[in-house]
Amino acid sequence: MSRSEVVTMVLGRRLPQSSYYDKDFRPSASLYRARQPYLVKNAFTGIAMLGFAISVYTFTIRAVSQDEFEDVKVPDAPVEAPPTSSAVAQ
Amino acid sequence: MSSRRVCQRCSTLPASIQRAPAPLSARIAAKRCFTLSRTKQPSKSPSDNPPLQNKRRLSSLESQGQRASSEYVAPPASQQPSQSPHEDNSRLLLKPDNLFHSFSNSPSPEIRRRAAFMKQNAYCPHPAHAQTRQPIGPHDLEARKTGTHPPAHVRYECPDCGIPVSCSYEHFADDYENHLDICDQLREINEDDHDLRSGRFFPEFEYPGPQLEEAQVNMTNWDTLLYTREFNAIDNERSLRQATRLLTYPITIGSVIHELSPYNIQSGGRLTPEGLKSMTLRYTLHPPRSGAGMTVAGLRPNPPPTRLFILGARAESSLPREVWIQLVHLFPRAIFHLIFIGPESMANRDAEFPLPPRTASNPFGAVVEDRISGQMKISTFVEYYHTLHAAGAFAPYDPYFDAFVLFHPGLGHPASSHEWAETIPQLLETKVPVICTGYTEYDMQRDIKWVHDTVGGEVDMLLEPGENRFRSLRWDLNDADPSDVSCGNFGLWAFRGKRYETTRKDVE
Repeated sequence: MSRSEVVTMVLGRRLPQSSYYDKDFRPSASLYRARQPYLVKNAFTGIAMLGFAISVYTFTIRAVSQDEFEDVKVPDAPVEAPPTSSAVAQ
Repeated sequence: MSSRRVCQRCSTLPASIQRAPAPLSARIAAKRCFTLSRTKQPSKSPSDNPPLQNKRRLSSLESQGQRASSEYVAPPASQQPSQSPHEDNSRLLLKPDNLFHSFSNSPSPEIRRRAAFMKQNAYCPHPAHAQTRQPIGPHDLEARKTGTHPPAHVRYECPDCGIPVSCSYEHFADDYENHLDICDQLREINEDDHDLRSGRFFPEFEYPGPQLEEAQVNMTNWDTLLYTREFNAIDNERSLRQATRLLTYPITIGSVIHELSPYNIQSGGRLTPEGLKSMTLRYTLHPPRSGAGMTVAGLRPNPPPTRLFILGARAESSLPREVWIQLVHLFPRAIFHLIFIGPESMANRDAEFPLPPRTASNPFGAVVEDRISGQMKISTFVEYYHTLHAAGAFAPYDPYFDAFVLFHPGLGHPASSHEWAETIPQLLETKVPVICTGYTEYDMQRDIKWVHDTVGGEVDMLLEPGENRFRSLRWDLNDADPSDVSCGNFGLWAFRGKRYETTRKDVE
């Protein structure tokens, strides 16, 4: 009565698996038919979402990469001080 | 093929059914057993007076009902899913690649009997013959017959489809273009018929049980419905056709009255605003949760069951009850009472005869099956509906609980319209929705026209006529006329008596 058919045999035990996938875990013909009314709409939605994500990244990176950093003065490397006489006097 | 056998399922019936002592329950248990005791001919019409067209409707669905149940029973391997269906070749009459046989030379004796019936009753459609009956419509091949040759029975079988369609080779060759229109379909019918009798294991006739209420059903088309209803995957198109031929009856009703019905009031949706108003059944079928539970504190008043009156019931009353239970599984918290009414409502149910005696509590000798499920009860009345209506057997009618369903009633068909003439005005008077199906587009339009003519516009259309999304995908052959192919519940429409909210009163 349950929808899953008992298919694979692992170590002598059977794992339940939906009958809508064949033994290689690929969708079966009936699953493709069931998905068919939504294929095109889902594909467009997926492309739209991917496009939106890519455009957000692109815009952000382009906006951030336009920054100019020439006015930031990089300080000189610190000068090494010679050992002082006070250390010797102690 | 007609030996008496009890299926394995019955030998493992739950103990409650096995303990039931009354003969009624035994009859019901026998029904659930789907024993192979029925040997009725698929087309039972030797005593008919012509035209045989009126028996078209007693199509081979009956044979499907009994064959399907018999085939469902036949291989005991059905209970062990591990056993491959090909191991038990000794039971197979026909292998899947060997399904096409000419009807006269078929390995199955039942199909040979059908071929013999066709050869004795069906007439050659070539225009050179004289007409044998009035043409049913403009598409009827009978209308083309203008010649003077005496009518001849079909004898010659088309080599491509295997069905006798002409009286001789010359007429067949002459009429070949017309035959080509349906040759492919006839071949498909041929193969499907042989497939049903091939003795193979039928996984498509195993139906799922109830499902989680939150797992909603998608009623866009057969594939989405079967997927969301958690049926086992039916990859093969032939198996899908076999399965939908039975399931079309409960699912067609369900698709109209369910709240997720694919018919809506938008422009392509076919439901009219009057139709939406009439779907008050949905209030009963999808009740709000009431906090009911299994204890005494969880007792809640329950509404009466939804009554579906199936009028003019023929083959559908003999459908296996597992098929009708699929209707119940679409509606988790609703209960149903299916009432089959019609003079032929006990067709193919010989195991349940004799009918119960007419007593005060059962004045019409109805066969009542109340042990099918906690949510469904089925009653069968072998009466005309107008008799029962006049007796007030089901009054009062409430549009929140009742609906009439007519499966291919043939309202406008010349052989049966007189039987409906008294019933239809009574149906309109109840103001309860009437859901109607038809074999073909022409059949449906003829029915609609007949209803409009009979009651003169006192009808509101609830669902515009059109193709039923959940029609049977398998085509049926009319044994009395092999060029007539139809499928179960092809067209769907619904109507109701016109309701006047306010009426004008002439004040002069």
